[in-house]
Parts: sequence; C-alpha cells; structure tokens
Amino acid sequence: MLVPEFVPEIFCSLYLPAIYTGFIVGFIGLIGIAINKSDIHVLILTDIVGLAMLIVVGAVGTDLAEALILPGLVVELAEIMAISEILISREIRKKGKTPSILPMPLVFDMEILSTAPNFLSLILIGYGIFLTGFTGGAVAGGGILLYILSRKARGLPILVIDGLGAISGIAWCLWIVGFLLFFVNPEFWLLSLFLAASGLLLKVASKMGLIGVLMREEFKRQ
Amino acid sequence: MFELNIWFYTGCILTIIGSLSTVWGPGVKDPIVRTLNTEIPSIGISLILLTYNHMLALLTFVATSVIVSLILLRTITRLEEIGAEL
Repeated sequence: MLVPEFVPEIFCSLYLPAIYTGFIVGFIGLIGIAINKSDIHVLILTDIVGLAMLIVVGAVGTDLAEALILPGLVVELAEIMAISEILISREIRKKGKTPSILPMPLVFDMEILSTAPNFLSLILIGYGIFLTGFTGGAVAGGGILLYILSRKARGLPILVIDGLGAISGIAWCLWIVGFLLFFVNPEFWLLSLFLAASGLLLKVASKMGLIGVLMREEFKRQ
Repeated sequence: MFELNIWFYTGCILTIIGSLSTVWGPGVKDPIVRTLNTEIPSIGISLILLTYNHMLALLTFVATSVIVSLILLRTITRLEEIGAEL
C-alpha cells in the first residue's frame, strides 16, 4: 500500500471503516433525495450527502484532510444559503405574498450586552492577536462581533465599511507575499510564516467584523 | 480504559443511524423534524473529526452546522408563512 510514513499506524487501520461509513451515509442520503419530491426536503437531505463527503475526506487523516475540509464546509454553507433564497423567492412569485425578513423574535436585551462588552471584547481581541492565524482571527473576530452587536447607535459611515474591505485586501497581499517568499527563499521561513499568519488573522477578523456590521444594519432597524 | 476506537466507532454508528433517521425516521414528513434529525449525524461527524485530531475542521464544522440549521429553520418558517406546500 502506498502510504507516506508520517501517517500514524492507527489512522491507516481506521481508513477502511471510515470510507465504508462515508459511502453508506452517502448512499442513504442519495436514496432519500431520489424518493422525495418536495424541494425543501431535498435541500435538507443534501446536508446529509455533504456529511458523507466530510467523512471520506477526513479519513485521509493528515493535514491535507484538514485543508480540504475547510473549503468544503464553506462551499456547502454558501450553496445551502443560495438555494434556500431561490426557493423562497420562487414561492413569493407564485403566491404573490412577501413574508417578514426574520420570522423568529430576535431581541438583544441581555444584561451582558450593556455592561461587559468593552472589557470582554478587549480580552478577546488581545488573545486573538496573540494566537494569530485562523484560530486567532476567529477569536478576535468574535470580540469585534460582540462589540458591534452590543452598540446601540446605527448608521456607520460608509468610509468605515470601505476601510474594513481595504484591510481585507491588504491581508490577502500579506498572505500571498508570505506564500511566495516561502517558495522563492525557504531560509526566510519564519518571516513568511508570520506574514501569512498575520494576514490570515486580519482577514478572518475583519470579515467577522463586517458580518457584525451588516447584521446590525439589517436587524436593528425598527 | 478510554480506547481511541470507541470514539471512532461511536461516531460511525451515530452517523449511519442519524442519516437513516433523517431519511426514514418517524415524523420526517414535517421538515422541521427532518432538520432537527440532521443534528444526530453532525454529532457523529464531530466525534470522527475529534478522533482524527482535526481541530480546525471540528471548530469550523460546529460553527457551520449551527448556521446551516438556522438557515434551514428560517427558510421553513418563511415558506410556511407564505403558505407554500412543504
């Protein structure tokens, strides 16, 4: 068998059961899609087929699997979001009625959102910057999200939203420069690692901050 | 006492049983029940990813599965509000 030597022994022994589980789950999901006629049921069952894909990719058991799972998850999320919007707009056109944007009650009326956000988001952002990379970006972005959601004022100037987009672009450049340097000059690996890590931190954090701004503009309109 | 295989095979069994319950389980004519049933295979996948030590994938998977079920529930309630046949 053609297996690189850095794959642990136990993951090699788990490979066949994982692959079979993935195939069985995918088969069950596809049969469900075949026998259902309703669109929303098919959309829910697509989720199951996506899970089967995750097992098959994850069974590789190295960093490659992790690198392949992340874009798969994001693509699946975007796909479900787009198809559900298409279903809703088709039904609106058929029935001629427009539903409310958010059918669930969503009231941010919590004690923690009025007293603690400054301190909590400071700690989260500081810890995120210390971590760097994807995880740090997620932690710092969570801090920004908490801060933005807890503010009462609305109507952010357009310059700030554009500025967040610009930070995202600069982060991409940092990441690409770090990647290129890694291949051109491998002796500067530490520098390129930190370039890529801080680029990813800025990217993820600014994107989560942007989501928070958009959510507040959309849902706090009263 | 805690074998690694226990977590892996529990995850596999949960995933298979969960997907069966999503497709043929009781009360899945209601799309909300079907959406909630997809949480069982999600737990199974989380256990499998935990066995393989895929920390970042596990974090992202937990976040995206929550967002996906929120999107699906919102879609279902909006469709019911219009009066579409589900």
